[in-house]
Amino acid sequence: MSALSELNTAFIGAANKAFLVIEDGLNKVFTNKYNPLYYHGALPQFFLWVLFLSGLLLFSYYIPTIDNAYLSKATVNAWTSVRYITNTLPFGGVVRGIHRYAGDAMVLTIFLHMIRVWFTDRYRQYRWVQWISGVVLLAMVFFIGQTGYYLVWDERSLLLTRMTVSAFDALPLIGEPLKGLFLNGTAVTNLTMSNFLFIHIGLSFTLLFGLWVHYMRMTRPVLTPPPAINYIMMAITLIVVFYFPIASGNPADLNAAPTSFEMDAWFLWPYWLMAQMPAMAFWAVMLVGTILLCIIPMPGFLVPKSQPPVSAAEVVISKCVGCRLCAIDCPFMAIEMVPAPANSRFKLLATVFPYRCTSCGVCVGACAFDAIDLPTLTDADVNAQIKQLLQAKA
Amino acid sequence: MANEEKKVITLLCERAADLHNLLDADGNLQGVPGMSVVKLPCSGMVQPLMVEGALKAGAAGVLVCGCQIGDCFYREGNKMIRERLLGMRPPGLKKTVDRRRVLAVWLSRVQVKKFMADASDFVAYVRGLEAPVVEPAKPVPAAKPAPAAKSAEPAEKAAEKPAAAVVKPEDKPAAVKPAEADKVKEVVDAAPKAEAVKPAEKPAVSPAEKPADKPVADTGSGDTAKSDDK
Repeated sequence: MSALSELNTAFIGAANKAFLVIEDGLNKVFTNKYNPLYYHGALPQFFLWVLFLSGLLLFSYYIPTIDNAYLSKATVNAWTSVRYITNTLPFGGVVRGIHRYAGDAMVLTIFLHMIRVWFTDRYRQYRWVQWISGVVLLAMVFFIGQTGYYLVWDERSLLLTRMTVSAFDALPLIGEPLKGLFLNGTAVTNLTMSNFLFIHIGLSFTLLFGLWVHYMRMTRPVLTPPPAINYIMMAITLIVVFYFPIASGNPADLNAAPTSFEMDAWFLWPYWLMAQMPAMAFWAVMLVGTILLCIIPMPGFLVPKSQPPVSAAEVVISKCVGCRLCAIDCPFMAIEMVPAPANSRFKLLATVFPYRCTSCGVCVGACAFDAIDLPTLTDADVNAQIKQLLQAKA
Repeated sequence: MANEEKKVITLLCERAADLHNLLDADGNLQGVPGMSVVKLPCSGMVQPLMVEGALKAGAAGVLVCGCQIGDCFYREGNKMIRERLLGMRPPGLKKTVDRRRVLAVWLSRVQVKKFMADASDFVAYVRGLEAPVVEPAKPVPAAKPAPAAKSAEPAEKAAEKPAAAVVKPEDKPAAVKPAEADKVKEVVDAAPKAEAVKPAEKPAVSPAEKPADKPVADTGSGDTAKSDDK
């Protein structure tokens, strides 16, 4: 245990330095304001908006049915509607490409975000809510991405659907109901397709709820990179769309049994795992993986068991004038203004949520009345230290 | 006390430039004579009052060192103190404080060399300034006229609402008698020409932030806030 956490600490020390050097280099090129690494959290959020917009356009023309293409030349189903979007609608292919590659970019930037907060040691203690909600969001993003692959309804979609069904089948007790929920019935029908569409879109909007939890403990979360970075990201996406246009495979045929497909490593790696091992082993790997991700910030595994405790800031009630500056400036939403006691001269009184407090001292810097203090280092301590240094022989 | 002997205080973020091995037991920085360091968990903890207090107590200058702007372990600490020093976020630094004697640098853990260079430049610079004649006299009258100037309003009200002073701490120094205010302005205005403010901004600030340079000396800070707003 302790060996693991020591390794982690040493690794983070080195990785943090590497990040600082890289970021310093980027600052020299882009300036601090436009350093893309400073927007590692905002970039996935930006791509989410891109996905919402492009997805809305695709949704307008998408038809969630699986009527078999071979019944008639004029059959309208998911696959033909996607073909229509791609080939006939003006810029439809571009929008589809943007939707696909923005999804890939979102996963890529989420990984960047995850690695950066881990390597800069910003994932544990008072930040556990962000980490755990982040793991849940990541799992959701993967699942949403995979359902996107079902919607095209080519041979790959059919195979993925069948693989998912057989993976559910292997689960005892909950397997059968899950399968029913997934297929919206007992077999692949038109209802299955509308269900896939609902999962894809409905879960996407649920991401917003997850993001609310993700941002809950942050004042002024950075939600959007500066426009210049957004334009560059869009330009890169468009270049990729231009050089690697998206095309569907052959239309799915329920009577055929496709056995292989083109891999998209970003989203479809769980299916690769699924093909390598029995279904139960697959579920075990996924479960253990998720648990490991979730316990990364917990003490005793990668984080030393005994962390120095965070001593939350304390309000000096007799000095607080209720000016709100500390509550406004606190970067972790740890200070709330409450009505002051009845006999107070002031209307409001600052209060600290100790479980949110990071003991950073920003509130101390915000207070012109010395009314809030870190128990470990009060502002009086700092001033005394300064005086002492000045009085000592120069 | 001769100016050359006065100390310079660094208010240092523990996570910024890594000076831990360069400090002696008393907090003096080895390699930069005259520089003493007070470590804080985050540069955001620096109160403008601390800067003021240090200068009042006889420091030749105060250096604030935080992490690179954009990267703060506690999210926004360095931005906060930067804006406070520039007068864009309350509580700000009093107008009476000699801006030439305050320098903020934003250097990451690995940029120790840069810190040492900036620190020795700054020590040499502030020690080269004329002894601060204005300072010892200033704070005492400056603190008092504030309520007096407010007495234009009903007196009870002024006494009732000390909170107003918090929201706009700039009010106070502005209320100083005109003669004195001019003197302050002179000192402060002279600063940019003598590249006093420049070193304060140079290491930290990217071209995008340039417009913020002047307002350190200027009286109005409304434009700055806008120009720097993303």
